[in-house]
Amino acid sequence: MSENDLTGIFFYHPGNGHVSNLDFEELIQFSGTFKHVAVVWDSEKFPLWDKKNLESEIRKFNLNRLVIAGYDTGMIKPFFAMVFSTLGIPVENILLADFMEHGALDKSYTDLAKAIVVCGIYNVPFEDAAKPGESDVCPDTLVIGGGIAGIEASLEIANGNQKVYLVEKTGTIGGHMAMFDKTFPTLDCAACILTPKMVDVGQHPKIDLMTYSEVKSIEGHPGCYKVKILKKARRVDLSKCIGCGTCSEKCPGKTYSEFDQGTTLRTAIYRPFPQAVPNKYLIDAESCRYVQGEKCGVCVKVCPVPDCINLDAKDEEVEITIGNIIVATGFKVFDAKRAAQFGYGKYPNVLTSLEFERLINAAGPTGGNITYRNKDKKGNWVFTTGADVPDSVAIIHCIGSRDENYNAYCSKVCCMYSLKLAHLVKEKLPEAEVYEHYIDMRAFGKGYEEFYERIRNEGIHIIRGRTATVKSINGGLIIRSEDIESGRLLDQKVEMVILAVGMEPTDDARSLAGMLGIEVDKYGWMSGINNISDSVNTRSGGVAIAGTCQGPKDIPDTVVQASAAASRVLQNIIKGKASNGISSLSFSDIEKRAKELSTIKEI
Amino acid sequence: MATRVDPNFMQSLEKFGVKDWKGCFHCGNCTASCPLIEEEYQFPRKVIRQAQMGLKDRLESNIDLWMCYFCGDCTKTCPREANPCELMRSIRRYQISAYDWTGLSKKFFTSQKWELSFFFGIAILILILFAIFLPPSPELWTNPTRFINEQGGVMINNMVDGISGEKFLYIIHYGDWIMAFVAGGLLITNILHMFYLTLWRDKSVQIPFYAYFTQLWKLIYHFATQPKLRKCDDKLYWLGHMVFMTGYTIMFVLIVGMLPRFQIEEVVPWYNWQRILGYYATIGIIVFLIPVVIGRFRKNKCKLKYSHFTDWHFIIMLILTTISGILIHIFRLAGMPVATYFSYVIHLAILVPMIMIEVPFSKWSHLAYRPFAIYIAALKKAVVKKKQPEQVPVFA
Repeated sequence: MSENDLTGIFFYHPGNGHVSNLDFEELIQFSGTFKHVAVVWDSEKFPLWDKKNLESEIRKFNLNRLVIAGYDTGMIKPFFAMVFSTLGIPVENILLADFMEHGALDKSYTDLAKAIVVCGIYNVPFEDAAKPGESDVCPDTLVIGGGIAGIEASLEIANGNQKVYLVEKTGTIGGHMAMFDKTFPTLDCAACILTPKMVDVGQHPKIDLMTYSEVKSIEGHPGCYKVKILKKARRVDLSKCIGCGTCSEKCPGKTYSEFDQGTTLRTAIYRPFPQAVPNKYLIDAESCRYVQGEKCGVCVKVCPVPDCINLDAKDEEVEITIGNIIVATGFKVFDAKRAAQFGYGKYPNVLTSLEFERLINAAGPTGGNITYRNKDKKGNWVFTTGADVPDSVAIIHCIGSRDENYNAYCSKVCCMYSLKLAHLVKEKLPEAEVYEHYIDMRAFGKGYEEFYERIRNEGIHIIRGRTATVKSINGGLIIRSEDIESGRLLDQKVEMVILAVGMEPTDDARSLAGMLGIEVDKYGWMSGINNISDSVNTRSGGVAIAGTCQGPKDIPDTVVQASAAASRVLQNIIKGKASNGISSLSFSDIEKRAKELSTIKEI
Repeated sequence: MATRVDPNFMQSLEKFGVKDWKGCFHCGNCTASCPLIEEEYQFPRKVIRQAQMGLKDRLESNIDLWMCYFCGDCTKTCPREANPCELMRSIRRYQISAYDWTGLSKKFFTSQKWELSFFFGIAILILILFAIFLPPSPELWTNPTRFINEQGGVMINNMVDGISGEKFLYIIHYGDWIMAFVAGGLLITNILHMFYLTLWRDKSVQIPFYAYFTQLWKLIYHFATQPKLRKCDDKLYWLGHMVFMTGYTIMFVLIVGMLPRFQIEEVVPWYNWQRILGYYATIGIIVFLIPVVIGRFRKNKCKLKYSHFTDWHFIIMLILTTISGILIHIFRLAGMPVATYFSYVIHLAILVPMIMIEVPFSKWSHLAYRPFAIYIAALKKAVVKKKQPEQVPVFA
């Protein structure tokens, strides 16, 4: 070992506001064991932020190379580069070993963090040392989730002439996007974009669509997974049903419609919505009288196709063999009942934004008219045509997002969809007053800021200040907030309140991620290998993620990510090989490879 | 007035008890969720803003802060867990120190050493004064029966040789007056300083003279009944505070105002007014203190969750004063002259420094600042804007 190879390590982990759950003590101890490591500094303990001080330290240890390990290491590199250049040491000798970049986020990744540091010490790029092996890949692909991300990814792969199994939990594909009325910022009709794609999926010879199904278990290894899929009993034969709807007309079982977000009722034998794919009926066991043990069976009697409805059908299980998996399980909306101060669930005219999307949708319960929620004859709170029309609507932002009590993250889409909803209210009820109460307006995308400007000029009152409470007085709603820009306290009487609820990971995201070996952040969003440059591939080989299961995002971003995931899959299929994933590598593998590749020779 | 931003100011507030001052992103949730807020005065967001920006002048002249009774509703729903309630408490401590012109208050709030040395300094001074001028009679030990009256109680004013009961009583009485005048004088000058900072410093406005009289009822009403505290959710706390406040006030009047009639030689029956009032005051103080101490340990309410060391000092001093006071009474009734004498001396050695620290400089001064703040707020409403010199338009 020449004297020129003496290395210093600087561990950078600023305490405040950063993810620094790693055991830095252990890492510091570990990195001190290498022979050519002359000194290990801890950013919390050593005051290096003085140029002269650092210069003298570098001279003292005769350093020729420095590894900056930690989070946000790129931010502090310029400082060290400056000192290095004044000392005449090549700036290339400063190496970054960034934990964030390679996904070492907390204590469970201590081994990964060690591997990252070792690569820094041996002066080998992490990507070169941590190169997982490859296995032969089975050409078929499984896509989990039939929302816009799953649809897009399936179509991309199937259009590449490869077999795709698309598994969807509900009775139809389409996901949340099918519920929306318009998309921001162009105000295009959501269904006009989505339904052609849905039909394509339904008719594509290369796509095996499995609706009303769930992934039960996944076994095997990268390149060849054996997946068991539970096909829940639909009780209607897909190949025979002609979608005439006679059964639904006569069905006595009633429950709140999931697709319409509980704004209206549906029968027990139902079609989720008129453009559903497959456009066939299914029976919901919980509301079906026959399944629940009562005497019924009306649907079987009225059905014009013989043997189409089988009320005693049982769940089935099928096993498929596939090589690649795309997870696109999407999100669920925040349960507004958790934030009790806004009165959701207590006052009928406090709605979540998704309920309002259905209400304002031309295919919704009122045909797109904005009305009050009323009790029907049987005592169910539903929206019906002909009810009174509100003359003032308030939209409250950031419900369940940017709130330490619920979710600290920003759900990214709420500001924009709130502006869209405000526009739609103004369009349908030009006389109505519309208020937006926001904390910060986040119009971040192409054409979004312009959209915001447009809405502002439409006569909508956009008020800075989060609403604290919603109360009911004499049938109206009083919302209380501070108008921060003018420093006034506002008590406003409005007739309808829309809560801009944020996104949350789905309930089964964690269990699915566990099954697949995908890492999950503290909220339950799935993570790719690295949030900046590879958010699609995961630590497991042949498993990619797309759409909102990875984190809140809007439709354009979701579609782009779905295409990216499809391209990774196609890449594997064309090559015939799939990576085994970083999780297949152990720390010693990476260390060994780094030693082999290293130009620094040990004594 | 030009506004000078001082981002380091918040760090100087950390010693007053502020823990996290970076959290707030000014959503306005705290202000809107406050049950006490009115159109004219708004907090906590405005106050936090002023503190974050380091606008010392505005913070010192901010009277709104005193309208807050720390119910904690803001903290419960704060989306940033920035703890507005605790910030308000801490900034109130800062304000008390800003009103105090001597600078001692700031020392007491920011340094435990200062407060403790001041306390023990005065306590030792009291002990020395007693040792020199009012030493115990040696016969307390040798001939205790001499100090017992017909009812079997200790003759509390006759325990010093060569000083008659009446003379002893009046020495203590005038001593109490000196204490009251020093503490009260400091408090009054601090209140005047508060008036200056919040009201008189702003030369652009004028308060009509009659307003000082027409608004005076607010001062008395709010001092006596604390109606704003009752507006917060916890009615029981208001009741406890009320009993405590009246008990303390009665005790104060009995001791400072009418000691010669309170601390009498003969042991009167329990239904006499001296004893009834004394018992009420003692019970009132205890009834409030016990749940407060429990609450400060359990940390379940915002009011009691964030304890600054001065809060604990105050509670400990108050407990010790109360216990020593009760002990005097018990020893006296039991006919134990030595114990009576020493508990009496210790009682005074705790009571006097407590009053000297708490009334003009520390937490207890809110008994005056709060009603005066409400009074000042009422005066501010009656403000008349002075005519401004006509401004020459720059861009015609």
